[in-house]
Amino acid sequence: MVDVGALFSVLVTGIGVGALYSLIAIGFSLIYKITGVLNFAQGQFALLGAFLVVTLSTSLPLWMFDVQVPVVAALILTVLIGAALGLLLERFVFRYFIGEPVLSVIIVTLAFLSIIDGGVRFFISSQYRAYPDALQPDWSVSLPFDTAVQAPFVLGVVLALLTVAGLMAFFRYTVMGSILRASASDQQAAMVLGVSIERTIVVAWALSIAITSIGGILLAMSSGGAGFTIGDVTILVFAAVVFGGLDSIPGAFIGGLVVGVLRQFGVYLEEFLMPGLDSVLPMVFLLVVIMVMPYGLFGTERIERL
Amino acid sequence: MSSAQEEEPPVIELDNAEIVYDRNFLAVQGVSMEAERGDIVALLGPNGAGKSTILKMISGIGRSERGEVTRGSVYYEGEGVTNADTNEMVDRNVTHILEGRRVFEDLTVEENLRCGLYRGGRRVRYSKSDYDIAFEYFPQLEELLDTEAGYCSGGEQQMLVIARALIHRPNLLLLDEPSLGLAPKLVVDIYDTLREINREENITMIIADQNAKETLEIADYGYVLENGQVELHDPAGVLMDREEIKEFYLGTSSEESRYSEIRHYKIRKRWK
Repeated sequence: MVDVGALFSVLVTGIGVGALYSLIAIGFSLIYKITGVLNFAQGQFALLGAFLVVTLSTSLPLWMFDVQVPVVAALILTVLIGAALGLLLERFVFRYFIGEPVLSVIIVTLAFLSIIDGGVRFFISSQYRAYPDALQPDWSVSLPFDTAVQAPFVLGVVLALLTVAGLMAFFRYTVMGSILRASASDQQAAMVLGVSIERTIVVAWALSIAITSIGGILLAMSSGGAGFTIGDVTILVFAAVVFGGLDSIPGAFIGGLVVGVLRQFGVYLEEFLMPGLDSVLPMVFLLVVIMVMPYGLFGTERIERL
Repeated sequence: MSSAQEEEPPVIELDNAEIVYDRNFLAVQGVSMEAERGDIVALLGPNGAGKSTILKMISGIGRSERGEVTRGSVYYEGEGVTNADTNEMVDRNVTHILEGRRVFEDLTVEENLRCGLYRGGRRVRYSKSDYDIAFEYFPQLEELLDTEAGYCSGGEQQMLVIARALIHRPNLLLLDEPSLGLAPKLVVDIYDTLREINREENITMIIADQNAKETLEIADYGYVLENGQVELHDPAGVLMDREEIKEFYLGTSSEESRYSEIRHYKIRKRWK
């Protein structure tokens, strides 16, 4: 018989995990929405965030430097370093691709995938790093059917909701937000209004990497520490944003939740059916979505006047 | 301090400018032209004559299309701005309305107007009254504020891009084919409004258009371009009475001419 309690638990855990995917998916969507680039290294930025926190807050050295700051400072620093990374990437890499086909930048992100992965192994650690106790909150929220939601999941849901609301308000009600959407819609027409493309790239990547770092840290928290498997989240995030409609922030959020639930459902089914369903289900979903609704849930369809 | 007698430099001046795309394609050669403060200058000529290219090099957007002024100079209010980039020209209050009604389609009319407020990110707060100048000349837009710009009609979109540029408070406004694809009645309306804006707001304008008659009617001065060179230039009134213009742009020649004769006709070079 169907066990309602177990299914409820699948749903709750799925949404919890999904919220973490959502955060990373929102980062992905931001870059796509503003610059049109599909960032294949999104998972690696999450990975970088997860590892940075642990190296900053413990005695684990960062290359030749021994830094150890309180956990809260480490968290804030990590997000700031993420944002700064966006700035540096624009200054030293993306600036030179303005006016080039978007495909070249997409290929560049593939290079980042390996560079960041290798960079983390070289400068920080090449092994799984357990999080210190301070980074492993042990509280949880109890729900019916004896289901408990772990702290990282609760934090994930709250932060993802805040991020979506914040970004939507930013894009809807501020001049900068409007201009970012405008330059995504028609770059030249935005340029003659004084928009510098460099600046839009900085905003997109800095915001994206900062948000993605938070997602990565929470993902690491939920599994007890930072491991290189976090980088594999990119493909799940891909499924999430395709479902949401690539350039839609709320779409990325909902897509992340759906993928999280599907994944947990796959884990649940593995008991009865076959192993590996947790990775298969989201991908089957991705295929179906691409075939049935190529613009996703909230994606922008070009307006064609007849 | 400049004395009152001293002549004010033109708002924009091209001195023997040569414009090359991609280091290889010569688009404009030896063009000299200027726009005095408060004037409307018409840039006329067929497709590919170099009208858009000239506007694009003035506003700097041509740089993003690999255009370059390779010879000669461009001056803005007496200062050299040859090959300046778009940001610099925007800072100098030059606003370019690109060809083809480039509204931001998935933004509402209101959000499109809001983009006109952007000045290098310095503007954060805004209010409805910032749009007053737009509604003064295009009151129709006020009812469309929540409509997605992509769903507006061609005329409304043209009004929107002009309004968006007005909110930008330009000193020099460059318009590329504002009449393109619009009904004749609308063209007249839009041109009348442009003249009114020019008078009331003291905005200098350069209008590149194939629609010679309407453009010359509101213009103070006109340049006729062909193959990247200035073939004729005169005050608009004089230009309108010239036979070549009458015949080939206005279609009001006294003599009937057959198409086969027109085809190979080229305006005689009378100015170098």
